[in-house]
Amino acid sequence: MTQSQEQNSKQTPVRIWNIPVRLFHWTLVACFITAWLTRDNRYLDIHVFAGYLMTGLILFRLLWGFIGGPYACFHDFSFDWHEVLDYIKGVLNKKPPRFLGHNPAGSWAIYLLLTLGVLIVITGLLGLGGEERQGPLAGLLNYPQGKRLQDLHELLAWLMLCVVGTHLIGVLVESLLHKENLVRAMLTGYKPAKADTIAAASQWKTATVMVIMIIAGGVVWFQGYLTATPEQPYQPFVGPDLPDHDLWREECGACHLAFHPSLLPARSWKTMMAEQDTHFAEDLFLEPDTVAEIEAFLVENSAEQGLTEAAWKINQSIPKDQTLLRITEAPYWLKKHQEISDATWQDPKVNGKVNCAACHLDAAKGTFEDAAMHLPN
Amino acid sequence: MNIKVIGITALLLAIPFYTQASAISELETEYKSQGAEAFSAAAGEALWTKTFIDAKSGDKRSCPICHTADLAKEGKHASTGKVIKPMAPSVNPQRLTEVKKIKKWFVRNCKWTLGRECTAQEKGDVLAFLKTL
Repeated sequence: MTQSQEQNSKQTPVRIWNIPVRLFHWTLVACFITAWLTRDNRYLDIHVFAGYLMTGLILFRLLWGFIGGPYACFHDFSFDWHEVLDYIKGVLNKKPPRFLGHNPAGSWAIYLLLTLGVLIVITGLLGLGGEERQGPLAGLLNYPQGKRLQDLHELLAWLMLCVVGTHLIGVLVESLLHKENLVRAMLTGYKPAKADTIAAASQWKTATVMVIMIIAGGVVWFQGYLTATPEQPYQPFVGPDLPDHDLWREECGACHLAFHPSLLPARSWKTMMAEQDTHFAEDLFLEPDTVAEIEAFLVENSAEQGLTEAAWKINQSIPKDQTLLRITEAPYWLKKHQEISDATWQDPKVNGKVNCAACHLDAAKGTFEDAAMHLPN
Repeated sequence: MNIKVIGITALLLAIPFYTQASAISELETEYKSQGAEAFSAAAGEALWTKTFIDAKSGDKRSCPICHTADLAKEGKHASTGKVIKPMAPSVNPQRLTEVKKIKKWFVRNCKWTLGRECTAQEKGDVLAFLKTL
């Protein structure tokens, strides 16, 4: 029997982790898992909510590191790398010293996770603003810059996953070596310790404020779903008002959705208007004035202008020597729709590839926001 | 006062019917100048419901494919699925009120359905049929 185990027998449960620390820990876990599972753009609103919540949590934890009391304050777990190395050596010798609060290796995991969290939130906001033109930083970066930040955001998330994995291994190893359940301690707050050990206060008032703020934030963010109906589904992200034109909408919208000019390059529109007498096997019989007016609007707002994410990506995807007349032949369109089965296309509610509005709630507007994508029931 | 309001309202309500009548009569005059004889609603209806075969695709084509058999109801564009407002002027007073629009749609839809432009006689007959609805 070792000395520490001998001591254990005389120990009583002492609160080490106050409620805000535990609430922070497990809510952050939930945010990370949620954000990971909602990385597909069609769940962007949930992903972004997880991001905002994570931002709030991290800001809270940084503040709590100064005013959170024993075990929660940074000065209670500020170890230099010598101490971390010594601790790891102890683990390798299967005799790590026991720390009631965060141990040196765990502390460094916390600082690393907080740093990564901050970087992930910043790159996420920059990417959201650049690629989706949404959020507080909307339009700060252009599409290629937004895309690069998005890639960095993903890389950082993978790094964070690696640190989380290391942290979990650490928790498991230490739990085994000290024969104590560290996961349960993070749930209940209690660890066995000598009776005269400094205990953490419960801090339930702060925790209550946190819970209220999280719930209030969720209600504010997701309230649109409460008022949505099947006819008027909720659109979490509404795109900017794109340039519109009455004659274009009337003439092009007479036979099909008035496909927004931003969905094809200028060369495509010019060819299409020049061939208006054989427009997909129909003679449109438009008067020259009408053709000129519509063509001017189409060219002025074509895909090259990058009015939306879809516009920019469609234009990027089409080889410069190709003049496509169908949006559905653009490589970007094909890539985004490759998972849709023939059965879905043929469903009467979808009614073919021409009917964008069957799934894109903002098709008439032309913005094609990811979050406005909605498969009919 | 009230009589004035009623009178103005009545005049406003009558505008579609007046413009419809004037658009059709303008076109009838034009078609007659192009050699058309007296117009027949029965002949117009026969042409409207007749099925043609598209030379290129071999598909069956007719007016009701898009406009449906009941012209008081909404139709559906054969290839795009876009909803087409009812054709019958009694349900949709905007119909047959603009000469330019009537001409445009006759060109488009005759070419798609019959594979050629309609003759002045055919167009006049179809108008004679549609205006009775």
